[in-house]
Amino acid sequence: MSSTITSVSSTDEGSRATGARRLTGGGPRRRRGLTPRWLPWALFAPALFVLGGLLIYPLYRVVVLSLQDFGLRELVTGETTWVGLDNFRELLSDPLLWKVALPNTVGFAAVNVFLTVALGTLVALLLARVGSWTRGVLTSAIMVAWAMPAVSGTYVWVLLFDPRSGMVMRLLSSLGLVDPETTNWFTERLPFYAIATLNVVHHGFPFVAVTVLAALMTVPREILEAAEIDGAGAWNRFWYIVVPLLKPVFAVVTILSTIWDFKVFTQIYLMPGGSGTNREVLNLGTWSYITAISQNRYGLGAAIAVLLTVLLLVITSVYLRTLFRQQEL
Amino acid sequence: MNVNRAAAAVAALSLLAACGGGTLGSSEFEDAGKQDVSADGDKLSLWIMEGTNPDAKPFFAELSKAFEEETGATLDVQFVPWADAHNKFVNAIAGGTTPDVAEVGTTWTPEFADAGALMDLSGPVEEAGLGEELVPGLVEAGTVDEALYGMPWYAGVRSVVYRTDVFEKAGVEPPTTWDELVTVGEQLKQSNPDMIPFPVPGDSEYGVYPFIWGNGGEIAVQDGDSWTSQIDAPESQEGIEFYTDLALEHGLSTPAATTWDEADLSDNFAKGDVAMMISGSWTPGALLEANPDLEGKIGAFPIPGKDGGLSPSFLGGSHLGVFQDAENPDLAWALVELMATGEFAASWGEQSGFFPGTETLLEEVQKQDDPVVAPFAAQMVDGGASLPVTPLYGAVQGKKTVSAMLQSILSEDASVEEAAGQAAQEMDAIFAKGS
Repeated sequence: MSSTITSVSSTDEGSRATGARRLTGGGPRRRRGLTPRWLPWALFAPALFVLGGLLIYPLYRVVVLSLQDFGLRELVTGETTWVGLDNFRELLSDPLLWKVALPNTVGFAAVNVFLTVALGTLVALLLARVGSWTRGVLTSAIMVAWAMPAVSGTYVWVLLFDPRSGMVMRLLSSLGLVDPETTNWFTERLPFYAIATLNVVHHGFPFVAVTVLAALMTVPREILEAAEIDGAGAWNRFWYIVVPLLKPVFAVVTILSTIWDFKVFTQIYLMPGGSGTNREVLNLGTWSYITAISQNRYGLGAAIAVLLTVLLLVITSVYLRTLFRQQEL
Repeated sequence: MNVNRAAAAVAALSLLAACGGGTLGSSEFEDAGKQDVSADGDKLSLWIMEGTNPDAKPFFAELSKAFEEETGATLDVQFVPWADAHNKFVNAIAGGTTPDVAEVGTTWTPEFADAGALMDLSGPVEEAGLGEELVPGLVEAGTVDEALYGMPWYAGVRSVVYRTDVFEKAGVEPPTTWDELVTVGEQLKQSNPDMIPFPVPGDSEYGVYPFIWGNGGEIAVQDGDSWTSQIDAPESQEGIEFYTDLALEHGLSTPAATTWDEADLSDNFAKGDVAMMISGSWTPGALLEANPDLEGKIGAFPIPGKDGGLSPSFLGGSHLGVFQDAENPDLAWALVELMATGEFAASWGEQSGFFPGTETLLEEVQKQDDPVVAPFAAQMVDGGASLPVTPLYGAVQGKKTVSAMLQSILSEDASVEEAAGQAAQEMDAIFAKGS
């Protein structure tokens, strides 16, 4: 027996040695079992090709566009007008960016990410607890909220809050809380964004709920029971057991929510005043659209997109750093 | 070796990037307007804006038949909603998928012409002897650098649409001066408290222009090659102040209207909540379709001038444009001529509620003396005005400069002076960049 073991190990050593020689050595040798160097790349090549075409090329193109002055004329004639960093200079020196668009975007995203993740987690905890039939019904119900297209959903919320005939106004004015003769929530920044928050959180929490639910199912019940026996309350059990185990999932969900909530466009644009007539409620997405696309200045629009991408990259890397700093390997 | 591979990939991608940008072919008219074209079996693509004519399909079926009889070519008609149309055109220009002929809004014609996407129609128009026939306002709107890029098809103008039954009940007549407008509004408010006498929509720039022009102000003036905004001049500010005071001081509007656009305005009129509104000559037909109960209760009067007469109102409409990519430009011109002149132009005008773009047909419409049509015709003939004819104004409209100004005044975030100053600054910045 020992001889077989030795022979096995010697074969391993032999092939490992051959492998080592191959890696450090120079010319081509006969492959014997271990994967050749180019194989991973060859297998990866189709995916890389698709990714390259769909992601890397457009990204490259947007960066190139942001350095040009690109309008309808350039579109039609194919000529290029390079302006270097002028677009960025114009962008960063526009007071509307610093006073309105960025604060609105960052503030809105912060509030929405917090609410979406919190609400989604609460719903996931609920779903984990109920019986499977109830869980099925509830999950289907929240999936309808997620599946609703952003356009239709936004119009429903706009109708609900219509200052003359919306359900909310009728309810509140019949209770005597609001005077319909003087109120239009869409004209002020805070009520406008409050309604948008309702819309976006309602649309976004199902994803968080379902994802966190799936992760919750993987938490071993024995650990939770043991903690319960040891006297840990529900709050402690959640924070000291569930959250650390689910940290990667929370990271993913938070990052995705941040990216989505930063990019919010449809829900803001379709609300009354959001398409550019109310300058106070512009966020980065709508501002870039009315500044650049509506005026056929695609170079400037590309510059705004680059700015948004860089901002999101910075935020995402900060997230990942903080979240995984405490993780021991 | 990984670095080499990466470098190779980047090099390949840069090669791909080098073949960017679309170029439209350039075509020329050969026999356009001079003789009949025959193109058996050819297909011509046509884009029409949706909703202008509530029921456009029978019209286009007849047009296709007549076109096929005349030239042997078939027609492929596509309907495009107004709201998406500008983007759709831009995308088509970029991708080289433009139609042969399309309806182009008059404010877009200079923009697309400047981009080199439309063909110059001056030659065919002259050959066909139509030079004097075309309505000047529409010709002006489609002329860039002394060349005509859009064939006038139809025009519409905005006046005041009102509820005749409500006026009768309150015992008032249509106002003819600005002061009378205020008095009539207040009387209407007393006799019908739950109707809005005169909503002032914040997202509709066309509502404020008559009051700027009516007070002798201008939006922008051309000086040589460059434009300067005049919207903050004292006369313009007075006009804006009068218009917004109708809401803020006299209470003739409602807070909801601060964020209304023209579609919201007509929706509320159709619901029966509005007594008077500034609306286009094309809306009575659509209003009746939305609410047949309004039959016989809709009237119109020209926008009153400050001390009598009328205030100028924006004369808009559509041109028919031939795109540079058209394979058979002469065939395209044959279609344009068929649609814009003669019986098809007349029947389109009747069906859609718009005015035709040729003088002879316009005169015939005026002779009919329809009570809902005549006031608009009067407004068009005596008080039709155009916005600055420059592609740069399209950018001003895209940025919603004037609507933003209105909304900030109506929501009391800025005074008339501040808002108008801000709007003038924005316009001047756009004009400066473009020249």
